Amino acid sequence: MIYFDNSATTQTFPEAADRARDAMTCGFYNPSAAYGAAFSVEKQVEEARAFAASLIEARPEEIIYTSGGTESNNMAVYGSLRPMRGMKRIITTETEHPSVFETVNAAAKTFGLEIAYAPLRPDGTVDVDRLPEVLTPETGFVSVMHVNNELGSVNDLGAIARKVRALSPHAVFHSDGVQAFMKLRPGALPVDLYSVSAHKLHAPKGVGFLYASGSVRFAGGQTGGGQERNLRSGTTNVPAILGFDTSLRIYRSNLAEWHARMRRVKERLYRDLIQIPDVILNGPSIEQGAPHILNVSFLGVRGEVLLHALERYGILVSTGSACAAKKQGKNRVLNAIGISGARQDGAIRFSFCPFNTEAEADAAAEAISEQVRVLRRYKRR
Amino acid sequence: MNRVLLVRYAEIHLKGLNRPFFERLLVDRIKKALEPIRPNVEREQGRVFIYDVPEDSLSVCVDRLCRVFGIHSVSVARCVEKDWNAIHAAALAETASYAASKEKLTFKCFARRADKRFPMTSDQLCRELGHEILETYPNLSVDVHHPELSVTVEIRQTHAFVYSGEVLGAGGMPVGSNGKAMLLISGGIDSPVAGYMIAKRGVQLDAVHFYSYPYTSERARDKVIELTKLVSRYAGMIHLYLVPFTDIQMTIYDKCPSTETTVLMRRLMMKIAERIAKDTGSQALITGESIGQVASQTIESLCVTDDAVSMPVFRPLIGFDKEEIVEKAQKIGTFETSILPYEDCCTVFVPKHPVTKPKVDKLRESEALVDFEPLICKAIEQTERMDVQSV
Repeated sequence: MIYFDNSATTQTFPEAADRARDAMTCGFYNPSAAYGAAFSVEKQVEEARAFAASLIEARPEEIIYTSGGTESNNMAVYGSLRPMRGMKRIITTETEHPSVFETVNAAAKTFGLEIAYAPLRPDGTVDVDRLPEVLTPETGFVSVMHVNNELGSVNDLGAIARKVRALSPHAVFHSDGVQAFMKLRPGALPVDLYSVSAHKLHAPKGVGFLYASGSVRFAGGQTGGGQERNLRSGTTNVPAILGFDTSLRIYRSNLAEWHARMRRVKERLYRDLIQIPDVILNGPSIEQGAPHILNVSFLGVRGEVLLHALERYGILVSTGSACAAKKQGKNRVLNAIGISGARQDGAIRFSFCPFNTEAEADAAAEAISEQVRVLRRYKRR
Repeated sequence: MNRVLLVRYAEIHLKGLNRPFFERLLVDRIKKALEPIRPNVEREQGRVFIYDVPEDSLSVCVDRLCRVFGIHSVSVARCVEKDWNAIHAAALAETASYAASKEKLTFKCFARRADKRFPMTSDQLCRELGHEILETYPNLSVDVHHPELSVTVEIRQTHAFVYSGEVLGAGGMPVGSNGKAMLLISGGIDSPVAGYMIAKRGVQLDAVHFYSYPYTSERARDKVIELTKLVSRYAGMIHLYLVPFTDIQMTIYDKCPSTETTVLMRRLMMKIAERIAKDTGSQALITGESIGQVASQTIESLCVTDDAVSMPVFRPLIGFDKEEIVEKAQKIGTFETSILPYEDCCTVFVPKHPVTKPKVDKLRESEALVDFEPLICKAIEQTERMDVQSV
């Protein structure tokens, strides 16, 4: 099997699965409990938190564990808007993941705010020079994703943050980092809130975190037993958090090599694919895009049909975000950067992990070339 | 006081000498529909009575009965001795909850005496019951023309039954009373509705679906199975035949004129469906076509598809607008599944400009460009049968 859908989810590292299993069968205690056995579990969770924080040069108390990217994004939006006073506007982009896009739209209705979309460049990134067109002093919340999940476009968060701070000094700046965290070199973040999901990094599903800068006014998410500094109540998901910790440590110690590997596979696949006539790259250039996402259109072929044709070869890809795959209608992200018609219909997203190889890229390209040739014979004439 | 479900026939009561045949079939269908609950089902003088239904299963039973073709309506009745005291106590009990729910309420009593030996006439019964109800519930008043509540008493051979209101059933004839037919099911909105409508006339259903492996997904296939299951809630068990169609489609695209691919595809689907139908005892084909809905459903196209087979083709939606079909699909509960967005074999390869007025002779010629016989045989050989039934 050739799995090129790592932006949908990844295979859990065996070491991470083992650690999660141990936390279920041996160290299963509730870290909030009073006895010693529970305290040692709590210590492990706090070590995990400290390590995650260190990756983005944050303080441990700025990491709020959640159930994953979607919850982190929801919490970022609502946790910022609830305590907000006197603001009128939210800024986001039309290429956000549904867990930001839909949430921002629903929240704007609830709180009676207007939404303005940041202008985009054709490669899917925010056009920083044109940001002043939308940023106003009454802007209270800005959400711009770090890496686009369908195109791999990388936003310059530092440049955007400078504009936001200058023109909308009261705004809370959030970024959805689900496809960026550890896929780009991690470091200090210029944002107030940052969402992360574990299962994109070979860790179990059902966990992630929200970085919430200590200097931002933030109301948190669900209430209850007061876990996570009273910002996100609910019994600590120890197995998933510890599994995530293990996968992060493995990822961290291989970072540079793995980035290079994914980029090599991406470059190789692209080089192979452009041998096929009428293939167009969508989004950023190969060098400027994230190392693990490649979006390409095969004109005259319908993405969904090609996807199923490749399934027969054991090649798994996607036509866009898995979270949007079951929804009807046009692709919002591609529309937003002006990709429509045959180019949109024929779009396929390939997303890689460090264990994909150039040989896999070659084999996939060969199968694709064959199937595209077959399918083009039957295209709408 | 025992609760009993009282079931009225739909069209069966119009039948003459063969009426017992339909009645027996209906009772069979009712027993099947209520299998998980296993109540006692009895037939008596133009009604079916269902006894021994646990109180908490009553509404489930009514729901299930409303999906059995051949039933006009169902009432939940109180079954009592044929004794005035018992009857009037039941009538008061039946009225109690309604009386408590509204400040003012109009009502009327009905009585039907199937057993003429009962000492009171229907008129007397109504009068006396009305009187008792008025005495007990002062907030009720009589309105014989448009009552909000109707309290009915039926005096039967063994017992008396008291009830208020009735739930309308699906109507039609019991499935199996009118032979068997093969539904061409695509995964769209129309075909499940077409199947429902023919099953309603008492026809047992089989179904055939064409898929384009590997270009259509497993979800698309699962969707068709799910739709079949939804139809089987009304039609009973359906044998679903899944026919691989990719080779035939590709051959058509390679060898035949591009504007005619859709009509040719449909002709070949009809041919395969007819063969499977003949082999499995179906007497007709059913499609969800309606005149002019799409290019392949113009009168000319329908004639060309008809020409491919000798079996009668039933098209119950032929005069329906899309809106009417959607409404029906929502009512029978297939709509939500039908609109799931998966490619099906008809959308994988479709010409941009299909011919809208195909001619039979011309299409026969195009079809003759290829010897489809071996491909048809191979498709039938690789056909998979599933027995689909909702539980």
